Amino acid sequence: MSVVTTDPRFLLLHHHHRRATCFKPVPKLQLVSQRRLPFHLNCRQTPNSRGNVGTRHSCPLNALSSSGSAVVETSESSDVTFRETFRLQRPEKLEGKITIRLDAEKNEEYGQLTVGCNLPGNWVLHWGVNYVGDVGSEWDQPPLDMRPPGSIPIKDYAIETPFGRSPTQSEGEVFYEDEESGNWYQHRGRDFKIPLIDYLQDDGNVVGAKKSLGIWPGALGQMSNVILKSNAADYKEDDIVESNLQKRPLQGFYEEHSVFKEFFTDNVISISVRYCLGRAKNILFIETDLPGDVVIHWGVHKDESKSWEIPPEPYPPETTLFKNKALRTLLQQKDDGCGSWGLFTLDDGFSAFVFVLKLNENTWLNCKGDDFYIPLTSSVVTDNDSGLTHSQDEEQLKDFGPAEKFNDTSDSNQAGPTYADGIINEIRNLVNDISSEKHGKTKSREAQESILHEIEKLAAEAYSIFRSSMPTFTDTNLSEDEDLQPPVKISSGTGSGYEILCQGFNWESHKSGNWYMELNEKASELSSLGFTVIWLPPPTDSVSPEGYMPRDLYNLNSRYGSLDQLKVLVKRLHEVGIRVLGDVVLNHRCAQYKNQNGVWNIFGGRLNWDDRAVVADDPHFQGRGNKSSGDNFHAAPNIDHSQEFVRKDIKEWLCWLREEIGYDGWRLDFVRGFWGGYVKDYLEASEPYFAVGEFWDSLSYTYGEMDHNQDAHRQRIVDWINATNGTAGAFDVTTKGILHSALERCEYWRLSDEKGKPPGVVGWWPSRAVTFIENHDTGSTQGHWRFPGGKEMQGYAYILTHPGTPSVFYDHIFSEYQSQILALISIRKRQKIHCRSTVKIVKAERDVYAAIVDEKLAMKIGPGHLNPQTVHKTGLWPLRAEITSCLNESMPGFKLMLQFIYLSILAVYAEFARPTFVTVLVKLAGNSAPFGTQVVVIEG
Amino acid sequence: MEVSVIGSSQVNLGRVNDTGPCSFSRNLNTKISIVKSCYSKRCNLGKSQNLVCPSRSTLGFSLKTSASANSQAVVSEKASRTTKPIDDVNLYVGLPLDTVSNSNTINHARAIAAGLEALKLLGVDGVELPVWWGIAEKEAMGKYDWTGYLAVVEMVEKLDLKLHISLCFHASAEPQIPLPQWVSQIGESEPSIYFTDRSGQQYKDCLSLGVDNLPVLDGKTPLEVYKDFCENFKSSFSPFMGSTITGLSTGLGPDGELRYPSHHHPVKSNTQCGVGEFQCYDKNMLSDLKHHAETHGNPLWGLGGPHDAPSYEQSPISGGFFAENGGAWENPYGDFFLSWYSSQLICHGDQVLSVAAATFKDVPVTLSAKIPLMHSWSKVRSHPSELTAGLYNTAHRDGYEAIAEIFSRHSCKIILPGMDLSDEGFPTDSHSSPESLLAQITSSCRKHGVEVSGQNSSVSGSSKGFEQIKKNLLGGNAAVDLFTYQRMGAYFFSPEHFPSFSQFVRGLNQPIQSSDDLPVEDAETVKSLSATKLQLQAA
Repeated sequence: MSVVTTDPRFLLLHHHHRRATCFKPVPKLQLVSQRRLPFHLNCRQTPNSRGNVGTRHSCPLNALSSSGSAVVETSESSDVTFRETFRLQRPEKLEGKITIRLDAEKNEEYGQLTVGCNLPGNWVLHWGVNYVGDVGSEWDQPPLDMRPPGSIPIKDYAIETPFGRSPTQSEGEVFYEDEESGNWYQHRGRDFKIPLIDYLQDDGNVVGAKKSLGIWPGALGQMSNVILKSNAADYKEDDIVESNLQKRPLQGFYEEHSVFKEFFTDNVISISVRYCLGRAKNILFIETDLPGDVVIHWGVHKDESKSWEIPPEPYPPETTLFKNKALRTLLQQKDDGCGSWGLFTLDDGFSAFVFVLKLNENTWLNCKGDDFYIPLTSSVVTDNDSGLTHSQDEEQLKDFGPAEKFNDTSDSNQAGPTYADGIINEIRNLVNDISSEKHGKTKSREAQESILHEIEKLAAEAYSIFRSSMPTFTDTNLSEDEDLQPPVKISSGTGSGYEILCQGFNWESHKSGNWYMELNEKASELSSLGFTVIWLPPPTDSVSPEGYMPRDLYNLNSRYGSLDQLKVLVKRLHEVGIRVLGDVVLNHRCAQYKNQNGVWNIFGGRLNWDDRAVVADDPHFQGRGNKSSGDNFHAAPNIDHSQEFVRKDIKEWLCWLREEIGYDGWRLDFVRGFWGGYVKDYLEASEPYFAVGEFWDSLSYTYGEMDHNQDAHRQRIVDWINATNGTAGAFDVTTKGILHSALERCEYWRLSDEKGKPPGVVGWWPSRAVTFIENHDTGSTQGHWRFPGGKEMQGYAYILTHPGTPSVFYDHIFSEYQSQILALISIRKRQKIHCRSTVKIVKAERDVYAAIVDEKLAMKIGPGHLNPQTVHKTGLWPLRAEITSCLNESMPGFKLMLQFIYLSILAVYAEFARPTFVTVLVKLAGNSAPFGTQVVVIEG
Repeated sequence: MEVSVIGSSQVNLGRVNDTGPCSFSRNLNTKISIVKSCYSKRCNLGKSQNLVCPSRSTLGFSLKTSASANSQAVVSEKASRTTKPIDDVNLYVGLPLDTVSNSNTINHARAIAAGLEALKLLGVDGVELPVWWGIAEKEAMGKYDWTGYLAVVEMVEKLDLKLHISLCFHASAEPQIPLPQWVSQIGESEPSIYFTDRSGQQYKDCLSLGVDNLPVLDGKTPLEVYKDFCENFKSSFSPFMGSTITGLSTGLGPDGELRYPSHHHPVKSNTQCGVGEFQCYDKNMLSDLKHHAETHGNPLWGLGGPHDAPSYEQSPISGGFFAENGGAWENPYGDFFLSWYSSQLICHGDQVLSVAAATFKDVPVTLSAKIPLMHSWSKVRSHPSELTAGLYNTAHRDGYEAIAEIFSRHSCKIILPGMDLSDEGFPTDSHSSPESLLAQITSSCRKHGVEVSGQNSSVSGSSKGFEQIKKNLLGGNAAVDLFTYQRMGAYFFSPEHFPSFSQFVRGLNQPIQSSDDLPVEDAETVKSLSATKLQLQAA
């Protein structure tokens, strides 16, 4: 039970997020676990049974002999040809309740907020507050007197409070964030928000808000039905802001939210196949410890074909025919009640037995995303062969993994091995359908889209592997084009100028404890997507699991993995041609020891600084250094960079990271905290390939509305870059902020400043601007400043076509946006847009923004209309008349299709699938340049 | 019986090709409509009958007897069927040359697996796999190791793709795949097993055809060794023959092509391609030449190759042998030498093909072999590049008839590269016309009933190249029913290339224009045309 004393001046936020790449939400779940898997579940094969068929044999033969009819057949001479135990993961749900109680004190100055949960586990409340009058939904840390003991501050905007044992609820501990599973629970996909002040104009969806409208007459309620009401509408920040003058004193309330904790139970299924020589039959025995009714949905493969066939009778008892495509057999319960079994007798001549398990209407179990595949012996095949087939087939199944999605979207009952053929047919249909102008009627667009996506992915994978093993090939190719390009100048502020940055983690990445290895597997994919630089999470020992509260700088074992794993990852990334940025936190550092006053300001590890390394102007830490040269971060001792020994140690440390780990550059955390001149010093010493700093402060607002002119904001960032002498770039926070307003409120006019240039840092110092739309703080599960939902592709269309160095957030890369992001990146690469490219803004009006970049790429975002002719008049867009007319055709899909390059085909599919969100990429035919002018149009 | 109608002009057709949302297909409908348009423009059929001739300067269209017999039915079907069958042209993609490494494992297997799957999804029919002599029989004569190749074949089989096997009896420079070690060892003590040029420089990437029948390989002749190799291959891969493996080609020389390595000198980029050199200076070739000259009654002609032939990088003007007017190539000596030089090559081709044909006669696979497209300097009267390569094809002699004839005799298909090359791609001063040479060769093949499989020569991925391939596959020239795109690798799957390739594949599968797009009177014309044609055939 966690008790927080509240002050009515604050609005308390509970904060729980799902990943941006969330799975489909399930109705009725108010708290969604982010790791929830769709209903098709994967089974892992028991590792040591692979390639060693028969050694790990848990299939009980005694069960077999005890099963009546089987006795006769097994008594004949027969050989076990196949044995395998598959591990299954079955989902189970625990339902619990989260309780929120606010007790108002009599004097109305203080209240007591109690948050509880009755599910077992170690729960942590991740929370922050909103101050009255605060704009936006940014989090703030509560004042010290509000923090319960044991709380840990997370950066400067949240704290985490572990739940203690409840004195009143004896059945368990209370929690929100389950540390074991790393799941986050939140309120309908957003933060829990508990008002500590009543608003007369409250729109009634904030948790516990109804009381002020008289439904709850003040006192503590015990009703849980308020949940339904709290679900009634989305809250609007604006309302809260506007009504803050009419605050009323705090009143108590109590309510409950149900929470589902989902976890996987391990079960196994064992299969053994015996070939009965005398009768030329395969006898297949399946046994599982899955509880309840288990239905085997099965068929057989004949010869080499991959299609499901129905074998001739007899079938086992309780077998039904399903749609003439498969058979369904209910397994018989074992006598002891724990598990079930089934016996299948199959004639000679089938090459394999394939099945999936059905637990109930919605829950299916399969093998790594595909059918269980059990090779059968026919009289020709020897034992060795069957083993080989099996393992190879498994590899193939693994490769086919993504096709699961395809099965999901169509009728899941037809999940069968025919999909490869199916896909090919789909492609043929696709071509036919499009050209025969029947797009309206075509079925399963999504499936077709996924095929195209699949081809693209496979090609990208093949490309990356081939490329990594043949580095000379691209080199020779480049040397031919070289004449056209000026020599690339590398500087730490810009890299080559053609960099595309990937933020290689999110706020949850530390939870797996294995992030480096996970990224390792994605390296080639990232490379093939076109990224040239990756930003890895902070690698050091840290007080907070995400790494932003560093302690011992030379200890690189973190929640993301070990030092060795990091080295392996960096090596791998280098192999696939990606440079690696280390996230270095230089502003602050957590102490390991207390000074004589009991203040934590003595450091440990190899850099055992004392309080002279801590700035003097933060009373919390009693530093003996000089005053800070920047803003203070209050959660940890801020380092005094004016100290010679500190700088020397940091420089040494950076050089060590370069050499030991192989980092190519830096992402510098919280550079607001110290003078940019020190950064210059550090960069000159460590000579990074690329460096970018996080200078994040608030944009200018007037009466809650963002000012058009954000020059002051970008000036502060530019000043910092200038202080580093241009040795580092900086995240273009200004552009992100302006994109927020422009896209969310349909105010595209904001995207041009008074001089007709881009309004962010990118308009003033493009080569040093690292543009982004989301990062681990703004988005991910923190969502401190989330990019407007659904507008992400417009944001990427902007930053990936414009100068500056674009940065793509991990969550977006591995989301449904991937193909579109890939398309944009390819265009950027093909058109050789770089950080210094020139932008000519063609239109920046209420509902449309269009620009031409380097005279070879035209882009348009927003729902408004852009007449190509007007663009043509600028003389920059060599549109041919006939293409223009194509664009104006009522059915653009068909004719444009013929001009499309491959990538754009995907985009057209997006158009069919989601008419409200249109992405059209056009390659203009007839242009003599190899790839012509590229047009990017993303409607709002 | 065949009837060719000569089209009015290529330019015209090119334009049609550009504007149509769907390019020409091999479908009969299109063919007929092309013929029709030519017909209505300037030909009358009576005349066109006289115009039947293999011509390099005009574009020929042909309608095979079998096709025309069906034309009526197709025409009537047209209204209801607006899409054409996709599988008209079988499209294959070549696997990387080094798919199987020197140590008999699969190189970048995962990439190939992913690549194969992508191709399968894309609708490609099959793949081509080079099987290297230097890998499968690397260590010692008769000691074969097919493990790597078997694994690849199984991968391909899993995906239900078809497979064309190219047996490579040559070596490759990039990636480096040498001849078998034991062969190279023999070559060190016996350098005359390699082709040799005038300056004594050897070409060590394949054996000279001069030793075809000499027991230079530990007592066996190269032909015998090739035969053993083929036999062993056949038995090792017998489970796949006819099912997964549907085609086989046998190497006939450098890069598998039926030619002399006349251009083996490293070519400097951007410099104009020279004419190459004659490769008849190894011991055995010289002695054969000497013998031949003596029987011919001109022993002095047998002392060596032409003394006035230019060197590798030079243009035909140098030296004088290939001079446009009065060059020795046109005089009796020239004819003597070139006849001998080319007949050696043809004889070699004949022998290797007969070995292969005999070996694979009892398995249901299509046999083929590759001939080169020596298009540089082909606008010069002497066709010097072809001559040095052993193809005696000049302004007044068709050198491909004899080749087509031996292919025909062994029921062997011809693989023809350069389907992606267009005349426009070469500057006029290069005197290169790949298109007309291609037309000449295909016409020779047609004449001898030899089927042609196409390949591309470069992986530029330029839209021009793909347009040209499409034209060759789907255009009026119906000779090609299988095209192998060369070749899978990093560049193939790169964002610069793969999109255009996949668009190309889609383009091949695109349906022909629906009947509504054709003028109403078309049906009439087509009917009457086919009626006329039938009469012509009867005549």
